[in-house]
Amino acid sequence: MESMPTEISTPDSSSAGELVRVDRDKETAAERTKRFERDALQYMNQLYAAALRYTKNPEDAQDLVQDTYAKAYTSFHQFEPGTNLKAWLYRVLTTTFINTYRKDQRRPQTSDSELEDWQIAEASSHTSDQGKSTEDVVLENLPDSDIKKALAEIPEEFRMVVYLADVEGFSYKEIAEIVGVPTGTVMSRLHRGRKQLREKLSDYARERGYVKGGAK
Amino acid sequence: MSQINCAACQDSLFLFIDNEIEDSAVFNQIAFHLQDCAPCRNQLEIERKALQLVRELLTRSCCETAPSTLQERIAHQLYELQLQELSGYIQTEIITQYRRTEITIDGETQIEIETSHEIRRDFPF
Repeated sequence: MESMPTEISTPDSSSAGELVRVDRDKETAAERTKRFERDALQYMNQLYAAALRYTKNPEDAQDLVQDTYAKAYTSFHQFEPGTNLKAWLYRVLTTTFINTYRKDQRRPQTSDSELEDWQIAEASSHTSDQGKSTEDVVLENLPDSDIKKALAEIPEEFRMVVYLADVEGFSYKEIAEIVGVPTGTVMSRLHRGRKQLREKLSDYARERGYVKGGAK
Repeated sequence: MSQINCAACQDSLFLFIDNEIEDSAVFNQIAFHLQDCAPCRNQLEIERKALQLVRELLTRSCCETAPSTLQERIAHQLYELQLQELSGYIQTEIITQYRRTEITIDGETQIEIETSHEIRRDFPF
């Protein structure tokens, strides 16, 4: 099994107030299991929602979350108590997805050079895009299915960081540790991902006639 | 403090909104520029609102609950993993064997062998 992350450096602000000191050397296996059940299982829904974004189908998402908990449980003794458990679990989830599920699917990955090409394409189309900014559309009434679809359609690397930042509220630094890329890469992926997502949402709104001053 | 122009300010707006500008000097440059520049301030508000809206839409639509079957699978799996851990625990096997020989006065020999056998397991429970 690949090595699991031992810690995420950012302290967990949500539980900072109720920080319980855990002496992992003296803790029995039973106590550790209890601590795992108490602290880690509460994130199951969130991890499942994230897994759905990663895998794009419920069966794989369930398998991914189950594998994530198995790996997290067996390496829980490596987790530094008092650091950010949620981020640590997301890192296990993301690592498991990248190493297992993505490998299985043999999905071609966007390489850095492709990103550059994409960036160039985006830059060249930038001027023509100016006219159709998001300001003329109303996104509020878009059905959830459109929003999920738009997110699913943007490239995986972008989708992950957009989800981690804008749904889970992780900082760039936390995302960098979760995904295993430099902070600068997180920044550029997030910037492009958000832009693409906004364009797709605007397209869907326009198709549905959700235009400012228009019907509905 | 050195001034920045609108282009530089616009380039950093999304970092500013995300509160990800670590260099306080850079942060102050942008903050001061925004104070003085109404168009950039306007742009900041537009960007901020747009991002806020997308965040709300995403959060609203991506909030699936783990199916009960998954919860059961994970609970079962944790149980299995605990069992595995248990069986992997160090078992201490203690075999005590001793022989006692008793010889009676009339020369008749009687030999008794006593053995005790026990296995100790360090249960994590």
